[in-house]
Amino acid sequence: MSDELMVVRCQLGERDAFAELVRAWHGRVERYVARMLGRRDDDVVQEVWLAVVRGLPKLRQPDRFGPWLYAIARRAVMNRLRDAYAIPEPPPVDELPDEASAVVDRELVAGALAALPAREREVLLLFHLEDLSLDVCAQICAVPVGTVKSRLNRGRRLLRDELLRKGYEA
Amino acid sequence: MTPEDLLGRLGTRLSLRRRMTYAGVGLTGLAGSALIGVLWATEPGLPARTQAAFGVLVLIGLAWATFGGWVVTRRMPLFARDRVVAGWLGLIAWTIFAVGAVVIAPVVPTWLIVVVGALGVVAAANLGVALRARAALLRRRAELGG
Repeated sequence: MSDELMVVRCQLGERDAFAELVRAWHGRVERYVARMLGRRDDDVVQEVWLAVVRGLPKLRQPDRFGPWLYAIARRAVMNRLRDAYAIPEPPPVDELPDEASAVVDRELVAGALAALPAREREVLLLFHLEDLSLDVCAQICAVPVGTVKSRLNRGRRLLRDELLRKGYEA
Repeated sequence: MTPEDLLGRLGTRLSLRRRMTYAGVGLTGLAGSALIGVLWATEPGLPARTQAAFGVLVLIGLAWATFGGWVVTRRMPLFARDRVVAGWLGLIAWTIFAVGAVVIAPVVPTWLIVVVGALGVVAAANLGVALRARAALLRRRAELGG
């Protein structure tokens, strides 16, 4: 069953459909929260789903459920990482050569993410680990696409430095 | 936490009965305070103590109406099916209010007819919007093969 169909059925008030929606997305929400916070946090995950229950009846584009859910999860995570998000963002960096992106491997990224600043961590996570497009990442983070690209570049560079520091070969 | 654990935690938020209870509480408070308001406004020569008591009762009814309204709009928003049920409850509450107002008012003044009529239009329009919204979602569900 497609996400849109599940969401429409939820909006109608079908409880079974909500259970299916939770089963389909719960793992991704848990993983996103754990990777952003650096630990599992059931309270944040529950907070995300409570916000979903509150917001679902008013969701105008059921086909955009995924980005909408990530935006909710991002807000919940931001509430726990207020200090990290309060640090001013550095100026944009130029596009790095392929050497930087070559180092981005799914498993390595997941392991080294915790050391990165929150903004860079979230775009790397959304773009590389959740396979979301630049447009969707920009929508979730509520910033222009150019800012997402800049954060990705900076994040890759920081990630490369972090991985090299840990002894991985670029 | 497994999906089933989570669904267990969210159980009360997903309960139709609970949402309808809050909607019913709000509508009962609204209808009750409106009826007392009608009695207060149309009954001549009420002693001050009775007027004060009516005032308190109206406030209590409005407080319940506000609470019920807050719950079903902010904490447990209504899904399409819930809104239809709530729409019918609203129409029933309006009917009780309209009949009660005619019965308890010694003389039915023009302003009361206007108020009752306006509230009836609001209740009917609310139900109509809820039915249309549900029909649109049902059509979309059918298009998606559900």
